[in-house]
Amino acid sequence: MKHQINQGQRVEIVSISKLNILLDAVAEQMELYTPKKIGDHYTFAKYDSSIETPLDFNNIRAYTPIKEFLFPLRELVAIFPESVEPDEVKPFAVFGLKNCDLRSIEILDKVFLEEEFQDPFYQRRREKLFIISTDCFDPTESCCCTLFGGQPFTQSGFDLNVSKTSDGFITEVGSNKGRDFVEKHLRLFTDAPEALLIERDKTRAKTQKQLEQNNSEYELDAPVNKILENSTDSEVFDIESQKCVECQACTRICPTCHCFYLYDTRQKDYFAKMNMWDSCIRMAYAAVAGGANPRKVLGDRIKHRLMHKFSFFFDRYGIEMCVGCGRCIDADSHGMDIRVVLKKLSEELRTKPKAEIAK
Amino acid sequence: MNRNLYQPINSEIIEIIDESPTIRSYVVVPEEPFKFETGQFVELTWPGVGEAPFTPSSSPANTEKMEITIMKVGHVTELLHECEKGQKIGIRGPYGNGYPIDDFIGKQVYIVGGGVGLAPIRSLFLTLIDRIEDFNKSVVCRFGARTPDDFIYKEAIFGPWQEIEGVDMKLTVDKADDNWKGNVGVVTTICNEQDVDVSNTVAVICGPPIMMKFATLKMLEFGFKPTQIYLSMEKNMSCGFGKCGHCMIGKYYVCKDGPVFTYEQIKDYPNIWD
Repeated sequence: MKHQINQGQRVEIVSISKLNILLDAVAEQMELYTPKKIGDHYTFAKYDSSIETPLDFNNIRAYTPIKEFLFPLRELVAIFPESVEPDEVKPFAVFGLKNCDLRSIEILDKVFLEEEFQDPFYQRRREKLFIISTDCFDPTESCCCTLFGGQPFTQSGFDLNVSKTSDGFITEVGSNKGRDFVEKHLRLFTDAPEALLIERDKTRAKTQKQLEQNNSEYELDAPVNKILENSTDSEVFDIESQKCVECQACTRICPTCHCFYLYDTRQKDYFAKMNMWDSCIRMAYAAVAGGANPRKVLGDRIKHRLMHKFSFFFDRYGIEMCVGCGRCIDADSHGMDIRVVLKKLSEELRTKPKAEIAK
Repeated sequence: MNRNLYQPINSEIIEIIDESPTIRSYVVVPEEPFKFETGQFVELTWPGVGEAPFTPSSSPANTEKMEITIMKVGHVTELLHECEKGQKIGIRGPYGNGYPIDDFIGKQVYIVGGGVGLAPIRSLFLTLIDRIEDFNKSVVCRFGARTPDDFIYKEAIFGPWQEIEGVDMKLTVDKADDNWKGNVGVVTTICNEQDVDVSNTVAVICGPPIMMKFATLKMLEFGFKPTQIYLSMEKNMSCGFGKCGHCMIGKYYVCKDGPVFTYEQIKDYPNIWD
């Protein structure tokens, strides 16, 4: 039986009948972004409680990466000769993030919140972000988190997690911020019935299984970092690069790619230093003044990108820089699929004489 | 909150020294005291135009002002070559690891330098000779330039540096002029296995990539281990703190893990000299 939750009762897992009730409560406190379907894809748009339209509950991750909220495409980072401090950021919430999005935030945090060199612009936004994640169901063809150590539902890294069930939405608390929110709005929630929790877990398991089945042909024979480290002389990169038109969409849409380009501009009465997303696929990316360029060949740049994701980043931070969201697969109109590239390397390694395998 | 990493320190160029037809040295005074270790680099901003990485050529002992030697090769450096003293610039840094001087203690130091690569070497040299007893009273320098006129720090190199006790200096040029009495040939032609006790020496190499490549091969030929060879790598260092990605050599961010590497660290990565 459902009943109102009283003060002091368990608030870790609760239930709410309608999504809009939850979202309105959030929107009262802070700016809220929710999924919006445009064409075949979801992106995030500002939530407007006055519009009585049913919310697009995104069954899979949005097309656009969460990094947009934390590390915008372009921003001003310094003014000369006067200095600039990052603007105060107001608390904001994003609803509908998926586990792969949360894992991408974990990766970006490693880079931009690194103790010695903390990026103050990233840090201010990150601090103010209220994460309301949701479970995935009905994954799309490119979704492949299970290949890269992920799963279609969250276990950590969220403030609140929402699971859609046949009777309302199970809401799980994942942080102190999330707990504060639920405690403050106890009247909106009810106890989560056991039956719905079982239903949630079943849906999760089903989705996970579906993902594993979808991706079974791409299963690798060895840890992905070992495959890359033993593939430095592989021709696969050059062969695959023939499909690449250097549009750089894969790096822009990737939620973990974080390379950037600093440049200076002249304004009317000041000089500014700007920070803009960059891409290691770009020809002149690593070139120095004078023209030397260690990665003139496209295949080398593709190799570097994958090495960075699966070997270099892993070496430095202990996690891979890929969450298997599949956005790069969706974005590549010429058919390069990261799963196929890795599978080819894996196959190649399997047939390589043992003596040639370094580690 | 931490300091904004992207904000340069306002600085002024107070003196300009013409070193060669394409190279000038700038005496830069930052608005606040600026500490660096020899071999570390700074990002120099030309307001409104761009930023480029340079290793100061002065001794780190001076925190009031630093000297930066710059070859005309790109947008920012071209503007620098046209500017006058009094020019306002920005400085960020210092970044990277610098030369591990303490690891050199008790060893001879064999320095091979060429062209504008003598800039970081000058800072190192000034640091070493301050305490030359620590390095078995032996700093061996093998410097090269295209022509005699292309040598930077001529006044020091052709004179007082050669007189310092414990310094063994030889110079070479690719192409002599009428007054040149010294060696003609690339820098490896003045390097000799007998110059030092290889087993107890560190080699430091800085110069154009092609020179660094052949000097490294020469050192290996002399019996130096890859761990004994220190290279100042020049890549496209932009942010300075291991995030923007432009300067990566394999897993290393040159800006953060370098710019000084042992050959051992980077030898297995492709195209390190490009």
